[in-house]
Amino acid sequence: MSKPNYDRTHHAKMATGIGDPQCFAGKAGEPKFKVGDRVRVKDLPDLFYTRTMVYTRGAEATVVRLVYESPPAENEAWDNTDDVEWFYSIVFKQSDLWPEYNNTYEADTLETEVSERWLEKA
Amino acid sequence: MSDKDHGHSHKAAPMVEEVSDFEILEIAVRELAIEKGLFSAEDHRSWTEYIHTLGPLPAARLVAKAWLDEDYKKLCIEDGVEASKAVGVDWIEGMPTKFGTPSDYCNLRVLADTPKLKHVVVCTLCSCYPRPILGQSPEWYRTPNYRRRLVRWPRSVLSEFGLQLDDDVEVRVADSNQKTRYIVMPTRPEGTEGWTEDQLAEIVTRDCLIGVAVPKPGVTSNATRPVRKALKPVPHDH
Repeated sequence: MSKPNYDRTHHAKMATGIGDPQCFAGKAGEPKFKVGDRVRVKDLPDLFYTRTMVYTRGAEATVVRLVYESPPAENEAWDNTDDVEWFYSIVFKQSDLWPEYNNTYEADTLETEVSERWLEKA
Repeated sequence: MSDKDHGHSHKAAPMVEEVSDFEILEIAVRELAIEKGLFSAEDHRSWTEYIHTLGPLPAARLVAKAWLDEDYKKLCIEDGVEASKAVGVDWIEGMPTKFGTPSDYCNLRVLADTPKLKHVVVCTLCSCYPRPILGQSPEWYRTPNYRRRLVRWPRSVLSEFGLQLDDDVEVRVADSNQKTRYIVMPTRPEGTEGWTEDQLAEIVTRDCLIGVAVPKPGVTSNATRPVRKALKPVPHDH
């Protein structure tokens, strides 16, 4: 069995002069969700690495922006850039995240980004 | 045991008493990368030097320009990376690496406040911060205390920074833990009518751009802030 030859600078070669996440543009295909859609954050297993915060799991939110295409952090952490996904900026009502959130401030919200694999239609 | 060994070592005490695991990890990875030839020690030094030349002035200028130019404001909201070029920040070509760095991806979003919407930025993951346009983050921004509390009790944390917001203002916390970096574009305060871009840029301080403060006429990053003495000061011995 031959020794695999890893190119440790392939990310630099891909992104130089273009930028990251710009270098993944056009690779994710059709986005599954659009601005205004109600979504729920899935509670997927997160062994080793994730950027999807536990406090968002299971909560419903509204898509406010399709931000960019990129490999999900769970893959990119291991240098796997094969599966590029759409990333969405989603807005939660604070009272949907924290049960004890003071209802005087019913309008307060939180915005964050997740990749498509973490979202399902609410 | 000789007479000279009277119960303690005469070795010099270490200069640094404690180095964290992460500092050791950083040094190990850096030295491996240098040995492998990915970059040189000289590259590393010059990038570090470059990073420490950056500060929040370009972002303050961006906000001031947007206050005066509605079209530029729209561009800021739509494409922060493109809008940054007008204030001398090129997220892609400007960085020494020419592709950003893993901790500074090339995706800036400018969060525009309105009289009924106030943004504030945090990274609960670690310390994501728009370094190309704001420079290095303040120490408190990276503390677990700020990061875990801001998402959950934003109004309490903001009031600790001296920012009290009306009940009917929507506080929107932006948790930047993927590839987007955020700056806040506060609303233009009253009392700045007829001001020039230079005057306006002066009152947009770093904390206004993170969202824990709002700009006020007369309060610039150079101004002396009033200090309220503690009613019951806690004595301490250092």
